[in-house]
Amino acid sequence: MHALPHGRLTWQKRRPPDAVVFTCLAAAALFLALLGFTLILWVREAWPAIRAHGGEMLTSGEWFYRHQHFGALAMIYGSAVVSLLALLLAAPVAFATAIFISEWLPHTLRPWAKAAVEFLAAIPSVIYGLLGIMFLRTWMADWLAPFDPLSGDMLLTAAVLLAVMILPTVTTFAEDSLRAVPAAQRLAARGLALNRTQTIHRIVLPQAWPGMIGAALLGLGRGLGETIAVFLIIGRLDNRLPESLLDPAPLIEPGQTLTSKLGGPETHIAMGDPLHWGAILTLGLILLVLTTLFVSLGNLLLRKNPAHP
Amino acid sequence: MIPTMKSIPALATLLIAAIPSLSVAETLRVIGSTTVNPVVAEAAEVLREEAGLTIRVDTAGGSSGGIHALGAGRSDIAMSSRPITEADRERYPSVRFDSHRAGEDALALIVSHDVWQGGVRAIDREQMQAIYERKTTNWKSLGGPDRRIAFFNKEPGRGSWEVFADWLYGKAENSPPVAHPEVGANEEARTKVAATRGAVSQLSASWVDGETIHALAITGDDGQPVEPTHEHITDGSYPLNRTLWLITDGPPQGAAKRLIDFIQSPRGHEIVKKHGYLPPM
Amino acid sequence: MKKALQLLSALTTGSAAAGVLLLAGALAFVLITRGSAAISPAFLTQETREAGASGGILWQIAGTLILVATAALVALPFATALGITRAWLLPPQSRPARVLGFILQLLNAVPSILLGILGLILFTGMLGWGKSWLAGGVLLGIMIVPTAAVMLANRIESLPRGQLDAAAGLGLRRGHIIRSIILPQSAAALLSGMLLGLARAAGETAPILFVAAVFSGATIPTGIHEQPVLALPYHIFVLAQDSFQEASRTNLWGAALVLVTLVSLPALAAIPMRHKLHNAADHA
Repeated sequence: MHALPHGRLTWQKRRPPDAVVFTCLAAAALFLALLGFTLILWVREAWPAIRAHGGEMLTSGEWFYRHQHFGALAMIYGSAVVSLLALLLAAPVAFATAIFISEWLPHTLRPWAKAAVEFLAAIPSVIYGLLGIMFLRTWMADWLAPFDPLSGDMLLTAAVLLAVMILPTVTTFAEDSLRAVPAAQRLAARGLALNRTQTIHRIVLPQAWPGMIGAALLGLGRGLGETIAVFLIIGRLDNRLPESLLDPAPLIEPGQTLTSKLGGPETHIAMGDPLHWGAILTLGLILLVLTTLFVSLGNLLLRKNPAHP
Repeated sequence: MIPTMKSIPALATLLIAAIPSLSVAETLRVIGSTTVNPVVAEAAEVLREEAGLTIRVDTAGGSSGGIHALGAGRSDIAMSSRPITEADRERYPSVRFDSHRAGEDALALIVSHDVWQGGVRAIDREQMQAIYERKTTNWKSLGGPDRRIAFFNKEPGRGSWEVFADWLYGKAENSPPVAHPEVGANEEARTKVAATRGAVSQLSASWVDGETIHALAITGDDGQPVEPTHEHITDGSYPLNRTLWLITDGPPQGAAKRLIDFIQSPRGHEIVKKHGYLPPM
Repeated sequence: MKKALQLLSALTTGSAAAGVLLLAGALAFVLITRGSAAISPAFLTQETREAGASGGILWQIAGTLILVATAALVALPFATALGITRAWLLPPQSRPARVLGFILQLLNAVPSILLGILGLILFTGMLGWGKSWLAGGVLLGIMIVPTAAVMLANRIESLPRGQLDAAAGLGLRRGHIIRSIILPQSAAALLSGMLLGLARAAGETAPILFVAAVFSGATIPTGIHEQPVLALPYHIFVLAQDSFQEASRTNLWGAALVLVTLVSLPALAAIPMRHKLHNAADHA
């Protein structure tokens, strides 16, 4: 996948760009310019709140818009806990599935397994939310009954649902990075009398590992941004912060994430009130920064893969 | 290249902004409360068939969402289960809010079956305040079962919440900052209370089925419990009664007038009654 | 001992895979058993009545198709241009190519709710459109662009280099190479990227929540300003919270089954295409 013909850099200079090339470049530039433009608009409208409440938003867990309190900490906590837990639940299953599909499953059966994964990925968020309302919420409430949760709406329920939703993402990317390890190396390992398990452990995994972590990070990014399904089952309780970071109590209580807040009624109400609207947009910016962080890290690791130079 | 790049978004904006002038819109836009929605949606179906009116009904944002949409010119009629407030008028000084009665309703304080069975049948304002402020957290202190109180609050913007807070604290603005798990639309409140032990929430009395959820009577200063029945709404003795409103900017005209007139006609009253509310008084 | 370890390893990973398969099967089973009770020709061809309790989902299906078609029209030119720019016009491995690739990856990961709020800023706030199908179509289009562009770019990068070398050596203009070699040979990748993106877009609720969809009363839009559509995902989202009567529960599952069918068809159609591409890439 290295350099296309190098010569074109020289003929590029000699001739003026033709119409097709110009159209392509112009359309690409227009798209990027529009993106940049919207980002500027976004920040401009968020600015009143950042200026007045920027510090408070990142350090306070108190959000009462009627009293002009705009602390986002509880939502950041909710987003972090829900998506991290989802990843913890999903990653082992996803990795094992990816290893099985890529290393054990006969070639002919592979498309079928992949179709099942694709199907899980294709189901829309609102359908997962519906399944969450109709089934998962009740199951979780019954299952956790010894701990006496308020209802089935809790961070843990959201995490379980989210785990199912990011499972196909992580599986697909992990499988990609396993398959990126050249088949020739597997054959060579066989030649050295390593069995399949040994080949996986000594040859395949060490090379695919960064890519698999990358897959996990992409899953985390996906989980952070998931809105509709989470909105329907998280209970939308504002301002619930734990006593300490390791305090498990909030897990079986309702909570709020950045996305469930943004998808909720306050977004309708806030428009037209510069401070409230700005605060909502700032929540969006925080979400954008967090996703960007995980996704760029994930892509960086995926690129470390032998076949993604 | 740089100057072109800069002018592209401006140009694009101009182009896009020019498009709406091409549109032909003769649609009546109704936005707001999920409590009023079933009535208006059904009335709209009738008018669509009989008079060929195009009426679009949406419940995004509840009562306040509807009022904001009206204020911002994004809708023609706001459905609301709370009256227009000073705050609304201040926020939209140029809008002449004109309110029309669509029906009367009681906001019930509903509890789950286990609480009802456990003997809690009535509540007074102070007890409700204590629950809202998390000072009372167990039904035992209200003569009920030894069970944690699970209070589901109507989410911001819902007319039910405003009416409830007005009653509880004199004025919604005086309500203390406390956070509770939130419910939005009416059915969501109903299912969650029905499915949760020790649950209590606010809900239009017309949604109460008396099996999975029950409406508490409200004990007045005279110590008499008053149930949210049609009779008590009519004579005004139930404190949490409220009017369901259709609100326009200035006197309604055209399709808006047709819809409001229809809902206020005897046939409209039948629809209002069908959905468990009382015709406007 | 070695054999036992082999078996154990195969069994653990195998049971995880079986679990995933089972999960997919269970979800399909639930959707089909609950949803099929509502499905009938009338359900697909009638408009909704009594707030979802009777009638069908004709305009919800139509609205979703309108949104998706608009998204496709919006996305196709930009995805094509960005894909070609990234993989062919910008020198490979150069900084601009890397940056563009990175931007596309990021854009792919932007939470869809942010697109919905972007719609409020642009179409409701700045342009004053009210709810409009076009706003929803544009937002969904933006969502599709990176998916399709990345798949196109990857395909272009895996094209056999000899052919391109020869074409450049013959002194063909770059525009000519794009039209006669690159586009014909990578069209399948572009198409499957578009299909995947469209399938995802069809099921999205968050981007259309604020600016494009209403619950009832909209049919075929006749303009842009204040011309929303009904949409399947939004219909399900509202009914999931507010199904007024027991009967609307059945119709809710029916709508869910229709939506899942609608979104899995193009995704399934894209699989063989992608499979071929995958293999081609492996051998390149």
